[in-house]
Amino acid sequence: MKVAAALEARPLPADTRMRHLRAYRSMARTGLKSLLAYQTSFLFGMLASTFGALSMLYLWRSVLSAGPRHGFDWPQMKAYLLVAFVAGSLVSSYTDYRMANRIKQGDVAIDLVRPVDYQWSRFAESLGVAAYEAGTAVVVALGAAALLGGVPLPDPDTFGLFVVSALLVFPLRFGIVYMSGLLVFWTQNYVGLQAARIALITLFSGALVPLVFLPEWIQVASAYLPFAGMASTPALLYSGSLGGGAAATAVLVQAVWSAGLWLLARGMWSAACRKLTIHGG
Amino acid sequence: MPTHRPEPRRRSDVDFSASVVGLASAKVHDGSVTLIQAIGLRKVFRKPDKAPGIRGSLRHLVQRRYSEHVAVDSIDLSIAEGEAVAYVGPNGAGKSTTVKMLSGILVPTAGQVHVDGLVPHRARVENARRVGVVFGQRTQLWWDLPVRESLELLRDMHGIDRSRYQERLERFDSVLGLGDLLPVTARKLSLGQRMRADLAAALLHEPRVVYLDEPTIGLDISVKDRVRSFVRQLVSEGTTVMLTTHDLSDIEEICQRIIIIDEGRLVYDGNLQAVKDTHVRERTMSFELEDSLLGADQIAARLPGARVHLESNGRELAVTFDRMTLGARQVLSAVLAEVEIVDMHIDEPAIESVVRKVYAGQLQAEHGGATNSEPMR
Ligand SMILES: Nc1ncnc2c1ncn2[C@@H]1O[C@H](COP(=O)(O)OP(=O)(O)O)[C@@H](O)[C@H]1O
Ligand SMILES: [Mg+2]
Repeated sequence: MKVAAALEARPLPADTRMRHLRAYRSMARTGLKSLLAYQTSFLFGMLASTFGALSMLYLWRSVLSAGPRHGFDWPQMKAYLLVAFVAGSLVSSYTDYRMANRIKQGDVAIDLVRPVDYQWSRFAESLGVAAYEAGTAVVVALGAAALLGGVPLPDPDTFGLFVVSALLVFPLRFGIVYMSGLLVFWTQNYVGLQAARIALITLFSGALVPLVFLPEWIQVASAYLPFAGMASTPALLYSGSLGGGAAATAVLVQAVWSAGLWLLARGMWSAACRKLTIHGG
Repeated sequence: MPTHRPEPRRRSDVDFSASVVGLASAKVHDGSVTLIQAIGLRKVFRKPDKAPGIRGSLRHLVQRRYSEHVAVDSIDLSIAEGEAVAYVGPNGAGKSTTVKMLSGILVPTAGQVHVDGLVPHRARVENARRVGVVFGQRTQLWWDLPVRESLELLRDMHGIDRSRYQERLERFDSVLGLGDLLPVTARKLSLGQRMRADLAAALLHEPRVVYLDEPTIGLDISVKDRVRSFVRQLVSEGTTVMLTTHDLSDIEEICQRIIIIDEGRLVYDGNLQAVKDTHVRERTMSFELEDSLLGADQIAARLPGARVHLESNGRELAVTFDRMTLGARQVLSAVLAEVEIVDMHIDEPAIESVVRKVYAGQLQAEHGGATNSEPMR
C-alpha cells in the first residue's frame, strides 16, 4: 500500500505550502525577538556605525565645498552616503554570528532535525532581523539628514528602479553573509572570516566611498561582482547619478546575483552536509 | 492506565525518494513492522593531522595528512515498531554518531539506513516530521526566548493545529509539570527544567520514533525519575524508543531489549531480562547480625560454592552465590543456623554487571545466542 501512496505522490499540496509559509513567518518573528534580547548591544553597534558615517559625511562636506567631484555635489553625496548607510546596516552580523557559533559548537545538529529547510529558515530569521535593522537605520539616517540640512528627494525618473534595487539589497547581503557563515564548516573559526567579509563588502559595495572614486580595476570588478548591488546601486539610483540603460542594467545585475548567490549557497550547503562532522556529544 | 492514543496520525502521504519504495514495505518479523533498519552502517571521521599553531596549519595545506577514525563500524540494526531499545556502550563507543545517522544529521560513510521507510539523510525534512530527537547535552529550545515561544514556533514548523497543540501542552503539563516553565526564558532554566522542556519540544509533534541520547545526564534523582516515567509512558503508548545512555538504571526501567556497542562495533543484541537471567547468575545476600561474629567459616562450610564475606566489625555478613546452584532459602537457613540476624536484603543482578562482563569480553564467549555478535561481512 506504501507503493500506491508513493505513486499517488503529488507536488506539495496547498496545505503543506501553507504550513511552510506559517513556519517561516514564525521564524522571521523569532529572529526579530531573539535580536531584541540583545537590543542594547545592537544599539551600541548602531551608534558606532552612526559615528563612522557622520565623520564620513563631514569629511565629504569639506572636500566637496571646493566644488563637485566625479559628478558628485554635496547634496548628492549626502543622499548617496545615507542610502548606503541604511543598505549597509541590513543583515549585519546577527545571521552569520549565530550560524557560525552553532556550527562550531555542533548545535547545527539540532537545526538539522527540524522539519524545515535550513537556508529558508536562516533567510526568514534574517528577514525578521532586517526589519529591525532597517527601521533603526532609517531613523538614524533621517536624524543625520536633519542635522546636515536635509536631503534631496529621490529622482522621480528612477524612483521605481530605486525601490526594486533597495529590495534586492536584502537577498544579496543575505547570500554573502550566509555563505561566509557556512565557511565555518571548513575553517572551524569565524573571527578572521567575518572581518574579511566585512572588509570586502565595505570596499567593493561602495558603502564608504562611491566606486567612481576608486581605481579603475575595482570599478570594473564591482560591475560584475555582487557587491555593488549591496549599497552602491540603490544609493546611485536614489541620488540620480545613474540613469537610463545603465540603471536598468545595474538592477538586472542585482537580480541575477540574488538568484545566483541563492543557488551557490545551496550548492555550498550540500557540500557542507556531505563533509559535516558534528563536534561534541 | 488507559492512556489515550491520538487519533489516526496524519502521516504524510508524500514519499520523496522512489528508491525507498521497495524497502518501505518493511520486513515483517514476528508480525510487527520494522521501523528502524540499518545494514552495515559505518561512519569514519577524518581528522586532519596538523601540528598546532600557524606553522602546523601551513604545513597541513602543503601536505594534507589525515588520520581516520572509525566511530561506527558496520552495525546492523533492526528495530520493530513499538520496541523500546537501550543502546548502551562506554563513552566514545559511537552511540551518538549512530543516533545522528538515524536522524539524518550525519551521512553514513557506508551502509544503508531506513527509518519508517525513509533514508534519513536524503529525506531529512520529511524524516524530521516523523522522529523526535533529544540530545541530553544540547537544547532544542531557542535560548533567548520563553519556553512557550519555542514551543509555538515548533508548532508552526510541524503544522500542528491549535486545539491539538493545546491538548499536547496540557498533557505535558500533567506529566512533566511544564506549565510553570512556559513563561521562563530558556537561558534561565535549570538543567532539570531544561530537560523537561526539551522533552516537550521533541515530542510535541507525536513522533513515531524517538531517539533519546543521554536524556538523564547530569540530572538529579527526582528529575531522572520523572523523565524515566515519562519515557515509560511513551513506550506504553506504542512509540518506538531508542535510548542511549551509560546510566544503566535508565534501561532497566524502560527497555526490554538491549544493544551493546563498544568501539563502534555491535557486541550484543538481545532481550534484557534474558541477558540478566543467563549472564548474571550471581546474587548477593547481605545480613546485619545481632551479635558480632569472629569468623564465618562455619557458615561457609554449610554453603559450598558460595563466597562468604564478614566485615571487620563482625556485624555485617555478605554471601554471594550462584542462583542456579543455591537458593536464597538455603542461604538464609544456613546463616540462621549459626547466628541471629537483625536485617537482611538481596541485591538483584544489576545490568551494570552484564555490561561490565561484555566490556571484559566475557559475554561474547559465553552466550553465542545473541543475534548479531558475529562480525558481519
Ligand atoms: N565530529 C567528529 N569528528 C571526529 N571524531 C568524532 C566526531 N564525533 C565523534 N567522534 C569520535 O567518534 C567516536 C564516537 O563518538 P560518539 O558517537 O560521540 O560516542 P558516544 O556517544 O558513544 O560517547 C569517539 O571516539 C569520538 O571521539
Ligand atoms: Mg554520546
